[in-house]
Amino acid sequence: MSVKKNEKKIQKNNKRIGYCLRCLAGFLKPYKAGLILGILMIVVANATFALNPIVEGQMTTQLYKDGEAILSGEPGAHVHFDVILGVMGTLVIIYIIKTVSQLITAVFLTKVLQQTMYDIRNALQQKIHRLPVRYFDDHAFGDVLSVVTNDVDTLGNALQQTMQRVIGAVLTFIFVISMMFYINGVLACMALVIIPLTVIVTKFFVTRTQKLFDTQQNTLGELNGTITEMYSGFNEIILYNKQEIAVDKFHDVNGRMRKTSFRAQFASSLISPCISLITYLAIGCVAVTGCIFVIDGVMPLGNLQAFIRYIWQINDPLSQISQLSAQVQSAFAAMGRIFTLLDEEEEEQVGRVAVRPEDIRGRVTFEHVSFGYDDHLLMKDVSFEAKPGQTVALVGATGAGKTTLMNLLLRFYDVKGGAIKIDGIDIRDMNREELRQLFSLVLQDTWLFKGSIYDNIHYGKLNARKDEVIHASKMANVHHFIKTLTGSYDFEINEESSNISQGEKQLLTIARAILKDPRIIILDEATSSVDTRIEKMLQEAMNTIMSNRTSFVIAHRLSTVRNADMILVIDDGDIVEQGTHEELLAKKGVYEKLYHSGMETENGTENRPLSLEKDEQITYTCV
Amino acid sequence: MKLILRYLKRYKLLVLLNFISVFGFALTELGIPTVISMMVDDGVMQQDKVYLLRMGGLIAVMSVVGVLGTILLGYCCARISTAVTCDIRNDLFEKVQTLSHQEMNQMGVSSLITRTSNDALQIMNFLNVILRTAMLTPVMIVVSFALVIMSSVKLSLIIAATVPFIILGVVVVAKVSGPVSEKQQTALDGLNRIFKENLTGLRVIRAFNNHRRETERFGQQNRQFAAQSRKLFTLMTSMEPLFFLLMNIAALAIYFTASFMIDQRLLQVGKLIAFMEYLFHAMFSMMLFCTVFMMYPRANISAKRIEAVMNMEPGIKNADAAQTETSDKIEKITFDHVAFCYPDGEEAVLKDISFTARAGETVAIIGSTGSGKSTLIQLIPRFYDVTEGRVLINDTDVRQMDVRRLREKIGFVSQKANLFSGTIEENIRFGREDASEEEMIRAAKIAQAYDFIMEKPGQFQERIVEGAGNLSGGQKQRLSIARALIRQPQIYIYDDSFSALDLKTDARLRKALKQEITDAIVIIVAQRVSTILDADRIIVLDEGRVAGMGRHEELLRECPLYYEIAASQLSEEELQHVR
Repeated sequence: MSVKKNEKKIQKNNKRIGYCLRCLAGFLKPYKAGLILGILMIVVANATFALNPIVEGQMTTQLYKDGEAILSGEPGAHVHFDVILGVMGTLVIIYIIKTVSQLITAVFLTKVLQQTMYDIRNALQQKIHRLPVRYFDDHAFGDVLSVVTNDVDTLGNALQQTMQRVIGAVLTFIFVISMMFYINGVLACMALVIIPLTVIVTKFFVTRTQKLFDTQQNTLGELNGTITEMYSGFNEIILYNKQEIAVDKFHDVNGRMRKTSFRAQFASSLISPCISLITYLAIGCVAVTGCIFVIDGVMPLGNLQAFIRYIWQINDPLSQISQLSAQVQSAFAAMGRIFTLLDEEEEEQVGRVAVRPEDIRGRVTFEHVSFGYDDHLLMKDVSFEAKPGQTVALVGATGAGKTTLMNLLLRFYDVKGGAIKIDGIDIRDMNREELRQLFSLVLQDTWLFKGSIYDNIHYGKLNARKDEVIHASKMANVHHFIKTLTGSYDFEINEESSNISQGEKQLLTIARAILKDPRIIILDEATSSVDTRIEKMLQEAMNTIMSNRTSFVIAHRLSTVRNADMILVIDDGDIVEQGTHEELLAKKGVYEKLYHSGMETENGTENRPLSLEKDEQITYTCV
Repeated sequence: MKLILRYLKRYKLLVLLNFISVFGFALTELGIPTVISMMVDDGVMQQDKVYLLRMGGLIAVMSVVGVLGTILLGYCCARISTAVTCDIRNDLFEKVQTLSHQEMNQMGVSSLITRTSNDALQIMNFLNVILRTAMLTPVMIVVSFALVIMSSVKLSLIIAATVPFIILGVVVVAKVSGPVSEKQQTALDGLNRIFKENLTGLRVIRAFNNHRRETERFGQQNRQFAAQSRKLFTLMTSMEPLFFLLMNIAALAIYFTASFMIDQRLLQVGKLIAFMEYLFHAMFSMMLFCTVFMMYPRANISAKRIEAVMNMEPGIKNADAAQTETSDKIEKITFDHVAFCYPDGEEAVLKDISFTARAGETVAIIGSTGSGKSTLIQLIPRFYDVTEGRVLINDTDVRQMDVRRLREKIGFVSQKANLFSGTIEENIRFGREDASEEEMIRAAKIAQAYDFIMEKPGQFQERIVEGAGNLSGGQKQRLSIARALIRQPQIYIYDDSFSALDLKTDARLRKALKQEITDAIVIIVAQRVSTILDADRIIVLDEGRVAGMGRHEELLRECPLYYEIAASQLSEEELQHVR
């Protein structure tokens, strides 16, 4: 049973490795020539490296012979410089070939591999924009980000370093063992005992240290958890004067961390000396036996020297087996994640009906739309029509699914049933890009990138002129603010965009949206961290952008809701009520309750207005 | 690097042992070739097989000694590197505990976490390299050179001739690779940043059809990174062949000279063999030494980041001669023309705030976000110190009080309820360890937490996971209120702490608080007007100034801002009711 299981596992593993290699081969293909040249040169370099000792050995043999003759006082005994020079000539050729081939590898292989990594990174970046949005519902940003930052890095290093070392180690093995047998079969057999012994020793330690490494990893997790908790709970710790207790607790975890990582490190550091001991002893045996062979005239001294050198050479890759296998494993794991991501299904990009933004007036109709994730239907049967220029307010608790509508309109998701039409055209018949051409989007969670203010606004329309950008910022009430900044439009927004305030960020995103001059706008009304002055400016800017456009507003302000042409009340992903303010109040339904539970003009950081904690018993009675 | 040296000093003995064990390793690596050369020169030449066997035995002994040395080396390395990392982390953590909010915000919690966790790890990795390779290289070089000179001065001159080249090579590589690897790192940071932006702005980018621009932006940075990586890796991979070439040339020169010496009976062949081995080992350890240069820049950045935290000056210091309060009973808190400006802020967040809260009173603070509500109450437990004016408790400036004793008297419930992993009981007792069982239950009951605690399978022993993900927002708030209540402080400060509660629980909780807390000062920061209707005094803040002060009814009549806020939250009847 367990054997079968194991076999299955191995089969699955092999399949995955095969898959990874096939994908990787696809990326390497354009650089075939360089890659083959590089690997060929690795072979050449290793072959010459393996030849080196035996050729040097010829010189030793000659010198030994001549030396012996000189010492024993043979008449006319001298060093045969002609032979020596001949060997030296051969050595020079070997050295040159080796160095040149290594340099070729260094230059060409590096070029090929870095180019490949460049392609892979670009492919990943482009992939991100072709994946359906729902992919990111199931996959945390951090995980996707880690594919690009960590996995690509791991793969790059593996290809650049590990691959060469693995190929080198395998070749060294083959060459060195054949050279050993070529020199002397008996000694070779003696030396080869090293290999099984090394494997046994490595296995012995790896299985035992694995547990220690697992413990170390767990303790590290615990340590990081403690650090995060204590630093985030900083307020509480100083308020309750718990500094000493916090420090004690940290010392405890940190002390355990020290112990476990010491054990893991020390245990794994034992592998190399144990393998060295085997090698040393093998060298000792070979030296004694070899010397006896030399005395008996079975083999020349130079060959003994070469042989000992070979043992040193083989020791190197052997003592690295555990390290290399760990690197290879993590490289395959990384590759698995990279290529799985690249293989994800993409959105289709074609459209059946060509749309020109100029021809669109902005009539949005929902016809019996149903929608849900997986099999679960959230929105069951929604129909409404927004006429060109009308304002539609979306109202509901946090998490009720107000952004669903936005997702459907922009086709981040497709409807399950019914149809969404713009000016009578089903949006599924449009090309996604042409569809999105019609919209502007202002999210509460503002998205700005590191770069100048100008670039950030200009982002709304990449072919806009400078005066258009300035006009848009004036319309958005943000021009004056920009002027007060050092460098005005060239002011650099930093990576966290923390050098401008939340309200100003929102104004900038409005300017960006205005610049695009869309037919339809989707607005997520600001709720938080805005002072009264900027709040007024925001309100004005929003009114500007909403005029003459079909607007969908995720509303938090009473005034916005009251003035809307239509209110959609959303609960649990579905539109449960629709109508004007008065109509809905008269209905005495969900909206009426929401309305009375307190729509606020100002809010905390947690989206409080209209948002009721789902986990709490909701009661609407005021005390 | 100073940082690392400072910590290494604590483990002088281990470092010394580390150094000695390196010798053990070097002696074996170099001793074995020496013995073999003796075997050739004396054993083979004299055809003395017994001598050969004896020498074989010697190799075995040396191997064991060498291996023991290496094991000891491994032990020392692991001991020192883990101990130093542990010490650095401890010191960092203790340092952070002395910081005030100001430094905390300046550095950022996530950055501090990275510094304590990852940067310390970087140092550990670097230490491992230093303790093995960096110490091994000089020892190997010194020992092998000593052996070389002992066996033949003339040949050693040839080796000596290569040394300047090697040193030159190492210096050049370090000089060139340093900046390149820094550039590569910067390019990588940029690359990661753009990708992160691509992910966070996914919808916006699609809505604006700008993925092509992103692709171009990413591609540009990617090209830069690829170019720098290529440079760096080409440099690193060409280094090795060039080093070996140099070594090979030296070997040829030695063979050539040695041939003449043997011809003149000045040298034995065995010595030559040993000589070549020494050369091989000395050069090899030189090569290893270069890895130190590769790791140095990264470790140095980490060391600097750690040092930056260590060098921070805590902004809030305990008063030198901390006056103990005249009496233990707190009668009143007074804000006396208080102004406050964040250190990096240009404009004052609070301006000219004056009011007094007496024991038994409830004072509420309301105002729009950014009006300075939270800042105001944070001045009481000295999260920050005032820029102008004074905060007085019973006529004593808080800056003159012992910080710990001051905070002991305060029950502060912050907006974001932070709980710790552990049981519910531990979390409530966090407020006061020595509280009795009854006191704990009573606090839970007042905080309206008792019912939901009893519904949990483990009741008070129910475990709260890290980040308290297994509790709802409202439950977290109630527990943090219970934690403050169990202290029985004389000052209660609620910073919008009822925001996650539904209105019914909110009402019950406030009723219970009112009954239980009769003699303390209560300060509430609120968003909902309904929460503060019956406060003894409501302070309306607007852009850091007091825009109005009084009871609910008075403010409705007299303070337009307050009316505006109330109008948006309360129903018509409730407003009318007042008028």
